[in-house]
Amino acid sequence: MTVEVLAGLSRPIIMGVLLGGLYALIALGLSMVFGVMKLINVAHGDLMIFSAYFAYAVMTTWGIDPILSLTMGIPLWFGLGFVIQKYAMSRAFGISMEAPLIIAFGISLILQSLAQIIWSPYSRALEAPYALGGISLGITTVPKTYLLSFVAALVVMLVLREFLRRSYLGKAIVAASQDKRGAELVGINTGRVYAFAFGIAMATAAIAGVFFGLTFPFTPTSGVGFLIIAFGVIIIGGLGSMLGTFIGGIVLGLTQTLSGYFLGAATQMLFVYLIVFLVLAVRPQGIFGR
Amino acid sequence: MDVDRNMKVPINQLRLMLPVVLVAVLAIFPIIGTPRVWLLYLFLFFVYLTMANMWNLLAGYSGLTFLGPAALIGLAGYTLVIVTWNDLPFYLGIIGGGIVAAAFAALIAVPTFRMRGIYFAIGTLVVPEALRYVFYLWKPVGGEMQGGGAGYMIKGIGELSLTEFYWLALAIGIVSIFLMRIILRSKLGLGLAAIRDSDRAAASSGVDVFRLKLYAFVIAAFVTGAAGAIFYIYQGYIAPASAFNIRWLMTCLLATVIGGIRTEEGPIVGTIIVVFLHFLLARYGALSLLIQGVILVVIMLLIPEGIVGFVRKTRAYRSLAALAAGR
Repeated sequence: MTVEVLAGLSRPIIMGVLLGGLYALIALGLSMVFGVMKLINVAHGDLMIFSAYFAYAVMTTWGIDPILSLTMGIPLWFGLGFVIQKYAMSRAFGISMEAPLIIAFGISLILQSLAQIIWSPYSRALEAPYALGGISLGITTVPKTYLLSFVAALVVMLVLREFLRRSYLGKAIVAASQDKRGAELVGINTGRVYAFAFGIAMATAAIAGVFFGLTFPFTPTSGVGFLIIAFGVIIIGGLGSMLGTFIGGIVLGLTQTLSGYFLGAATQMLFVYLIVFLVLAVRPQGIFGR
Repeated sequence: MDVDRNMKVPINQLRLMLPVVLVAVLAIFPIIGTPRVWLLYLFLFFVYLTMANMWNLLAGYSGLTFLGPAALIGLAGYTLVIVTWNDLPFYLGIIGGGIVAAAFAALIAVPTFRMRGIYFAIGTLVVPEALRYVFYLWKPVGGEMQGGGAGYMIKGIGELSLTEFYWLALAIGIVSIFLMRIILRSKLGLGLAAIRDSDRAAASSGVDVFRLKLYAFVIAAFVTGAAGAIFYIYQGYIAPASAFNIRWLMTCLLATVIGGIRTEEGPIVGTIIVVFLHFLLARYGALSLLIQGVILVVIMLLIPEGIVGFVRKTRAYRSLAALAAGR
């Protein structure tokens, strides 16, 4: 009896953990911007989806593999992020508290309608021969795309973590996020550091977009729902912690698959949003935050 | 507006007469055979204006960056469905929609007011998303569903025409303008201004922060809900994906920010621009949104105080105002 229950549960648990990896991958960039600049980049989901569209365009025009296309996508998105922060957000911070939020909304609106004009509102998907079908993980078979995104999330998370801990720029970003004036006093150009942080966050959004596009079909407005999931991830994971973000992603992924398993597929997203809302109401600094 | 009391009588009377005449002209529009398209865009103007006014009350004057107006509008729309499917008259649906939206606002005020600043914004952004899934699952009145999803037709509005919709929208639009005037000049408005500037300082000088925010939230929710119900009477159909859609927030945000957040006239100017863009670019849906997005970013960067705020700062306006005040 219990063996059967456990065997039945193993699939949603494994799927949940893997899905959580994808959520964490989407959330890493958001977490970085939120942690460093205290800015909710509401355009994050749309920037991520736009990267999926970019990979789609590269794939359909030149037949380049979506993951390979990231060699173009990552620098492009880094530059885009750098420019957005340097020329729009940095000015907005000086205006008022809600100005950056409103500008991010404007960018989100621009990206959504651009995607709609260029690629139509119909849903698109990224394809790669190695990502088709499933792969056996001993107990259960999972789609290869889930496993790929999980591995990508793990790699990006570890790279970011080490980057923030060891490199000079990484340490400067952490310093600027902890105490802006203190960082400036010891000679850190916080304006530049912010632009780099935004650029790096956008580079992770580019990666997330490609793996998202391989896993799920997407439309120009897919970004909004995943922005909220990503926000839930960083709220659960706590501010600015890369490992916390990863754990937060897995918690939300498990919430989704387990509530789908016990209460039916239709309820699963509802439970994800409920958990996000509850955590916000009870512990806004995050379960792992201080 | 203390200076106004010193004004000469003719200007004073003119000031009083102008809105009355304007409303009268607007009210007889459907009777004198104004083209349907015009009425339609005026209808949208008044509905959006109401929502933008209420959003301005929350975000501009109460320090509540409320990102979930779609929750109130959607709930009011579904209340309208329940009311009309039970063979009750539609106006009960409008009132009921307002009441349900207000009750819901009071309900979520307790957890969301605990969240501060940016957390409040995101907490309220989650609410409509969650509600959308509730209405995918919950079939409030049973019966036939429309369009494959969980959509419902609004019943019992067959005898209503655009003229009635238009009058309803005009009425709620005017109510929202007067409500803003009254609230901002009342004790509530002053308390809200104190909270917006610094909630700690307000609390320490005896302002009941939670209660005042709650009042503003509930009032705004009621009016927004009623406007949402009026919109759905016109639409005649509601579905979760469009009812709990972020577009509602975009409309409120665009109208308020373009016109000038924290100014009374801002939402009026902003809504004119938003509806005009709809009208001008009706055939190119995505392009219209693209232009609105660009305007939003440009306005925020160049004139963050909005068009009204910008005009007020100019020298020409100041000298005109001084002239009107008789100085």
